Amino acid sequence: MMRVPGDRLERPLRIVFPIWVAGSVGLVLFPVYLLLMVSVAPGGALFGERPALFVSEPTLQFWRRVIGQGDLWAPLMKSLFVASTTTVLAVVIAVPAAYVVSRLRSRWRYGIVIALLVTRMFPEFAIGVSVATRFAALGLVDTSMGLVLAHLIGALPFIAWILVGTFEGVPRDIEEAASIDGASRLRILTRIVVPIALPGIAVAALFVWLYSWNEFLYARLLTTSANTLPLQVFQAIDRGSRQQMATVAAVLIVPILVVVYFLQRHLRPGALAGAVKG
Amino acid sequence: MPRGGVSALAAARRWVVAQRFEIALVCPLAGYVLLLTALPILDTLRISLTAPASGDFPSLVNYGALAGSDLFGQALRNTVIVVAMSLALELVVGLGLALTLHGRFPFRGLVRTIVLVPMGVPTIVSGAVMLLVFSRAGYLNSLGYHVADLVNHLPGVEWRFAPFSWTVAGGWRTLFTVAVADMWKVLPIVTLIFLAGLQAVPEELYDAARVDGATRWQRFTRITLPLLLPYVTMAVILRAIDAFRIFELALVLSGRVEPVLGTFIWNRYAPPTSDVFGAAAASVVLFGLIMVCIVLYLRRVAMPGEVRL
Repeated sequence: MMRVPGDRLERPLRIVFPIWVAGSVGLVLFPVYLLLMVSVAPGGALFGERPALFVSEPTLQFWRRVIGQGDLWAPLMKSLFVASTTTVLAVVIAVPAAYVVSRLRSRWRYGIVIALLVTRMFPEFAIGVSVATRFAALGLVDTSMGLVLAHLIGALPFIAWILVGTFEGVPRDIEEAASIDGASRLRILTRIVVPIALPGIAVAALFVWLYSWNEFLYARLLTTSANTLPLQVFQAIDRGSRQQMATVAAVLIVPILVVVYFLQRHLRPGALAGAVKG
Repeated sequence: MPRGGVSALAAARRWVVAQRFEIALVCPLAGYVLLLTALPILDTLRISLTAPASGDFPSLVNYGALAGSDLFGQALRNTVIVVAMSLALELVVGLGLALTLHGRFPFRGLVRTIVLVPMGVPTIVSGAVMLLVFSRAGYLNSLGYHVADLVNHLPGVEWRFAPFSWTVAGGWRTLFTVAVADMWKVLPIVTLIFLAGLQAVPEELYDAARVDGATRWQRFTRITLPLLLPYVTMAVILRAIDAFRIFELALVLSGRVEPVLGTFIWNRYAPPTSDVFGAAAASVVLFGLIMVCIVLYLRRVAMPGEVRL
């Protein structure tokens, strides 16, 4: 690096910088640490003016209680079922459509991509108030299927939007070559294009799974008793002890930490900024 | 005329036959969006224009009720305050974090991965954590006690720290906790946008500036910031769209004292109020606010010919 005479900041920066990086990382991770720590804290440690920041004698009693109580399994199963079904259906519906859009002329393609993006920005309440009243009339409240249908509202524009980009990356030459060899268009899509795009489809599917796993608003609108995990966390916030709330929340984030670990390689700056709803 | 109509019909039919493969593939998605997004929005609009008692349509009764409601005015004001605070926090912290991660240092890949973690944490969980931090017996007050201890070691200083519960205090304090929770949750996204911007600045510009003797601070204010401006615009609009929709965090952290639009709509909709009409009208207002942001986004950020995001 070229030295500039007036650049007196250079040397102190080199010393302060690592501390600064460690500090930023610490601050970003602190809430997650806090959650996991509280979930294993013994009851007394959190009371008083200065709740403990470290647990010297971790206890699993709250984990045992939350798991043993049995009101964890039904929400866990519902969340797993809804997230997985939503993901499968979203892929099945969005893949063919996104493929067609990716092969349109650029003006049309651009227009549709923007339309998908805008659809994703609509406030859920503007859709949900009507959907919830209709679903109530159809007996879809408290059912997993009703929630899957609602989650697809948010998931479809989002996954289709990602997949258009993915399919644009699949070269057309391959399709033309296969077509000359006599392959039908459906065969080209299922045997050539989809396998090539599979890594991209997998990443998009993981995002959908995460969205459904975390989703709260539609779940709240469409549930009276059969909670999903996020609703169970809310219930624990409302009625439970701190440790109980932290434990249920930890159950919810553990699979996510795993998924994010697998996703991180695909999160290049710019590529997915804005892809995930805040 | 009839012949023209017939030939147009025939042309349409030929087009459909020729494109039947494409049409069949697009139909499920198009149908879904039409049936479960477009239609419900129109239906919400219809509900909002229906008079609850008489069933008259169209009627502006529900909007009149909103306009006369102090609670709605408060929710609207609180939403704008939360959006503004949250955006300000995100821009400053996100830019700081992006600048940090842009440098070269050991374990940079690992650090960048770790910084993405909040993105995966469900909003409701980040609300739960902030409750631990900001409640009366929470960690922020605990920090206050520790600081007071330190300060009291100084000779001649006596300061008694008075704790407060941020989440139920009401006013800006409660809204601030919502903004902080929102900031933490979306920090990775804002940071990724700024990182993309930083990486788009050509290295030659910095080299040239160095040759001309510009200091680090000058290079930052004269090169980095101006070139980052489009990304700031993008981050602000995208995040504003999300922030207007804020619901879970407000429900958990401020629901009982300071409603925002999201919680206001929920409280209208849910029992015991069960006022679908009021909820629908407020939803339409929220929709309008967000549409303004979307139009801004399309004009400022998503310029034709270049698909950004």
